[in-house]
Amino acid sequence: MKSIAVAILVVLVVIVLVMALISFQVRQTESALVTTFGKATRQITEPGLYFRWPPPIQQIYKFDSRLRVFEADLTETTTKGAVPIIVNTYVVWKIADPNKFLNSVGSTSAAEVKLHSQMNETQSNVIGQYSFSEFVNSDPKKIRIQEIQDKMLSSLQNSVREAYGMEVKALGIKQLKISADVSKDVFNRMRGERNTITEKTIAEGKAEAVAIRTQADAQKTELLAAAQARAKAIMGQGDAEAAKYYEMLQADPELAMFLRDVEVLPEILKDRSTYIINTDKDPFSLLREMPNLQPKK
Amino acid sequence: MANENIKNTGQQKSPPPAETDAGARSISEALKISFLILKLIMIALVIFFLASGFKTIKTDERAIILRFGKIHGRGEARILKPRTWPYWVFPYPVDQFIKIPVEKTIDLNVDSFWYFQTEEEKLSSEKKKVPPDVPLNPLIDGYSLTRSEPYAENLRASGDSDYNILHSRWKLICQISDPESFFKNVFTQDIKSGEKYIDVIKRDLTSLLTDVVDSSVVTAMVNYTIDEAFEKGGTVSEHVKNLVQKQFDQMESGIRVVSVQRIDVTWPLQVDDAFQASISASQAKQTEINDARNYAQNTLNETAGPVAAELAAALHNKDANDAYLESLWSALAGKCREIISQAGAYRMKVVSDASANANYLTQILPEYQKRPQLVVQAIYKNAIAKILTKADEKILIEPAKSDKGSVIYIKVNRDPKLVNKPKEKTQE
Repeated sequence: MKSIAVAILVVLVVIVLVMALISFQVRQTESALVTTFGKATRQITEPGLYFRWPPPIQQIYKFDSRLRVFEADLTETTTKGAVPIIVNTYVVWKIADPNKFLNSVGSTSAAEVKLHSQMNETQSNVIGQYSFSEFVNSDPKKIRIQEIQDKMLSSLQNSVREAYGMEVKALGIKQLKISADVSKDVFNRMRGERNTITEKTIAEGKAEAVAIRTQADAQKTELLAAAQARAKAIMGQGDAEAAKYYEMLQADPELAMFLRDVEVLPEILKDRSTYIINTDKDPFSLLREMPNLQPKK
Repeated sequence: MANENIKNTGQQKSPPPAETDAGARSISEALKISFLILKLIMIALVIFFLASGFKTIKTDERAIILRFGKIHGRGEARILKPRTWPYWVFPYPVDQFIKIPVEKTIDLNVDSFWYFQTEEEKLSSEKKKVPPDVPLNPLIDGYSLTRSEPYAENLRASGDSDYNILHSRWKLICQISDPESFFKNVFTQDIKSGEKYIDVIKRDLTSLLTDVVDSSVVTAMVNYTIDEAFEKGGTVSEHVKNLVQKQFDQMESGIRVVSVQRIDVTWPLQVDDAFQASISASQAKQTEINDARNYAQNTLNETAGPVAAELAAALHNKDANDAYLESLWSALAGKCREIISQAGAYRMKVVSDASANANYLTQILPEYQKRPQLVVQAIYKNAIAKILTKADEKILIEPAKSDKGSVIYIKVNRDPKLVNKPKEKTQE
């Protein structure tokens, strides 16, 4: 019984050792290249367990197939129309063809050297096809910066895939700058624009304020006129209603007018009045002498 | 029997010494114990081996199993979620259990578009002062280009470049939304002992995330004027966020942008004076407009009260119905109300006066018809008394006794009330 168990254990150990010699795993994040006596015989881009001949018959080269970032240096180049600009581009890439990559590049650091060279060339070629006003323009419809980046990506993808077995997944301009001297000119122009805006703002403020005040005054005049018209109508109604009573005055128009005079005269003379009167007028005649009154018989 | 024979045979040839038997037994016992211990160790190892396959997932994590290097499972089952009992996987090299933090956010500050600052300047709360003639150094000063105002193009005599310069600082917040894509496509270093995967991710992704944000900011900012960049911060941030997400999707990175925030923005320090003057002008403009609005409000309130503007508009509106207009007239206040009220008072007065006069005449008429002279005289004298009582000055003149009469000069003041005022006060 014991010997069976030992035998099984030995067999298991042997199986494990043999498996270790004749199999290998390719992880989900990797790709692999199998060479037989130094010649590439199999390229593996799918993950899983694979079998091989033990060394030295077959060698396994594994590559990390995940995305890597590479940034180029800040480079001065010229646009169409010879306007100098300074750009900094980055790419996101991965190993797509292990065989080609191993043969033409070999390592990640060597790949970055190749990429740098290709990026400079692509950058120069593509940017040279566009004028600076297509990078930035007061009319947004004329801006083609996304198109420029897409074109650079497409161009770089084609060149590195064929030559180096690398796939560029993304490319972007991460810095778009101008030279130091040009920046001084831009400042002068910005200052000029800002001064114009300042003057325009002040003028707009004044104009708007005047418009608001004028409108308010006009509305005031209109409202007062409307109110006075309405008041006149009300007063007219009052006069019309009062006229109904004039019929009653027909009983003695002369007396009615006398009473009216007596009513309005004190009202007219109530303020700032000086009277110069002879004392022979009643009742001031009392000041001169006592009246001679006789009882009526 | 056989044992006995051997024993006997042995005893006959060379009987083994008693010490040898004891030694053999000891060795035998020791071997037995050793085998037993070895067996126990092996059982313990097997148990440990099997137990090491139990794995748990925290609430902020998701996991995938690599079986012989390949993601195990199909469809949604490929991504393992937290649960109340542990998962069991075959230990390495068969399975690998990869836990990926999905809830934790990755925060990244991007200063690529900010002007150069020394460490001392970064710590200072004061704004850096830069003379107007100092250019930007493209190697150390960060900035982005914005398009010019359309009207500015007309101001230029020549076809100069039409853009402005802007400094800005950004913050990206993102998280892993698709663990499988992230694991398959995004490069991170292997986790070393004592390290957390989220820390490794943050460290290794800094370069990629910064580059993507930089590129998106450059691409987005050229679409905005410098004033739009200040005024429409939310729109610009959203634009940048969309571009960042687009790039992440293009890479199949499994990263989701939670937000892109513009945490700081300024014009170049070299043109600070001009921009400050512009801001002051905007404030002055607003003040002037506010003053005018206050004036308009006060004027209309004094004229017609709160309904002034509405009434003014209604007076111009031919479609405004009478009921609506009447409701506005009745809600009137201010000077217009006064005018209308005075008219109403006049109306009441004139009617009541006419009524009173008519009634007075009717009442006095019978007496007047009987004694006209006496009635008229009484009314007349009452009126004269009333007038003279209210007079400010009354000057009585004695008629001349001679036939020629006498001439009297009287200096009559235009305002008789002033006569009574003290002399000093008048001088004042």
